[in-house]
Amino acid sequence: MKTLEAIPQPILGISDLTVSYNRVPAIHHLTITLDSGHCVGVFGPNGAGKSTLIKAIAGLLEPETGSILIKGRPQRRGAAFIAYMPQRDAVDWDFPVTVRGLVEMGRYPHLGLFAPFSGRDREAVDEALELFQLGPVSHRQIKALSGGQQQRAFLARAWAQEADIYLLDEPFAGLDRTSGDALAKALHALRDRGKLLLVSHHSLTEAEALFDTAILLNGELVAQGPTRDVLSSANLQCAYGTAVYSG
Amino acid sequence: MNLHTITNALSEPFGYAFMQRAFLSCALIGFTNGFLGTFVILRRQALLADALSHSLLPGVAVAAIFVGLSPGGLLLGGLVAAMMVALGGQLIARNSRLKDETAVASLYIIAFALGIVLIRFSKVRVDLTHFLFGNILGVGDGDLWIAYGAAFITLSTLTLLQRQLIITLFDGAVARASGIRVSLIETLLMCLIVLGLVASLQAVGVLLSIGLLILPAATAYLLTDSFPKMLWSGALIGMICSVAGLFLSYHANISSGPCIILVLALLLGTAYLFSPRYGILMSSRRRGHLHDESLERWEGHQGHDHHLPGPRE
Repeated sequence: MKTLEAIPQPILGISDLTVSYNRVPAIHHLTITLDSGHCVGVFGPNGAGKSTLIKAIAGLLEPETGSILIKGRPQRRGAAFIAYMPQRDAVDWDFPVTVRGLVEMGRYPHLGLFAPFSGRDREAVDEALELFQLGPVSHRQIKALSGGQQQRAFLARAWAQEADIYLLDEPFAGLDRTSGDALAKALHALRDRGKLLLVSHHSLTEAEALFDTAILLNGELVAQGPTRDVLSSANLQCAYGTAVYSG
Repeated sequence: MNLHTITNALSEPFGYAFMQRAFLSCALIGFTNGFLGTFVILRRQALLADALSHSLLPGVAVAAIFVGLSPGGLLLGGLVAAMMVALGGQLIARNSRLKDETAVASLYIIAFALGIVLIRFSKVRVDLTHFLFGNILGVGDGDLWIAYGAAFITLSTLTLLQRQLIITLFDGAVARASGIRVSLIETLLMCLIVLGLVASLQAVGVLLSIGLLILPAATAYLLTDSFPKMLWSGALIGMICSVAGLFLSYHANISSGPCIILVLALLLGTAYLFSPRYGILMSSRRRGHLHDESLERWEGHQGHDHHLPGPRE
């Protein structure tokens, strides 16, 4: 098993993590350490626990054993520096909200119940819209966007939230080539700004171009490290139980 | 009809104290339930709310048996009965093979039948149709206080929790991940729905109370893409249509409930057909695509590739 070099105070430290559904473990005894400034792909066959890992880090699933430390502290729900992005089919695209309104939601954790929107909040929203090139469509209802713009709008919400860890569940699913490229560019821009991105991903094609680091799961951790090393045919054989054509 | 007759027709009902109370009560409840309706619709709980509205009846009947027609008693009875159906439904769904909508539907229809039977035993001689379709002309001061109270509680709670509610409605998983207690918010919303239903009993009755909750917000949903606009226009539509329906009911001498619902329905039908954005008859007048976007892509392609975009492989 490969691991990253030991880094003092990693942003995300997972040790001995087991998460179960109705006592059937989906992932067991995972130990993973990740630092900021990486775009990490989470790979594995169906049922390998990709979504489970993402949801556990988001605080949506309770660990059965082990711990998740974020910035050296136990993970808790409601931390503004974690942004969870749902799968596309979990979103009500008919919801009466514009792109700008969606990005404004990212400021809510900072505002609490009563605080009014300040100039500082508006700046953060403007900045996020600009960074993800959503300015021209900011007034549009979210359904009237292309698939890639929709994903970018959710990234912009996370940016406005000032998140440091981005958790994305299959964001490339259903995107065409052009939209996928634009999304990859946006993810890399976030990585280059020192964010940690954890992205569950189905396809092994172009994995190296998308992710500098990879985690390969099959219920347990098969490998973790630089993408090229992790997705070696020996590891894939181990994870998928059969030879996989990785394109 | 000249101006004088119209003014007369409009001002005549206000000459009676009971009509003044009725108008005030209608306006308050119409506004409040129209406001609340946005949350019900976006949470896709229209049918649950309908089930709850039916389950008010046995509570109201039990109250009528023990304390007569006191507004406080009816409110309490309705609240308890609806809560029992709502929570009982959840309990059954959790403990048995029945799914929650089956459990709630079974319970509410049983409750409704029980209510019809129980009403026969009420102390005061009371017409079942008043409970089923409303009797706004019987609004007393007590009912008016309930309307004030319901409006105050509902509007202030929804306004205070607006941010949490928006995130919860839009995306439950993200709401949970960001530390919002989603189940608490959902229970609270259900309590407000029951309160809204009970408060509208006098105006529209058990069977039609769901209409004040759903129709104004459904109309607003077809008209706007902005959450705050949907909230406030739902409230205004609810208020205006309730008052207009009451006028109609006064002059046509028909129960207020059906009149109010039909006025709301007229507006919903109009929005369904003619809403500039989402009306089904307006689609032919809309542009087939978002022109500026295709222009943008076109320019983008030309800038990068220096050739025209061909069909994609």
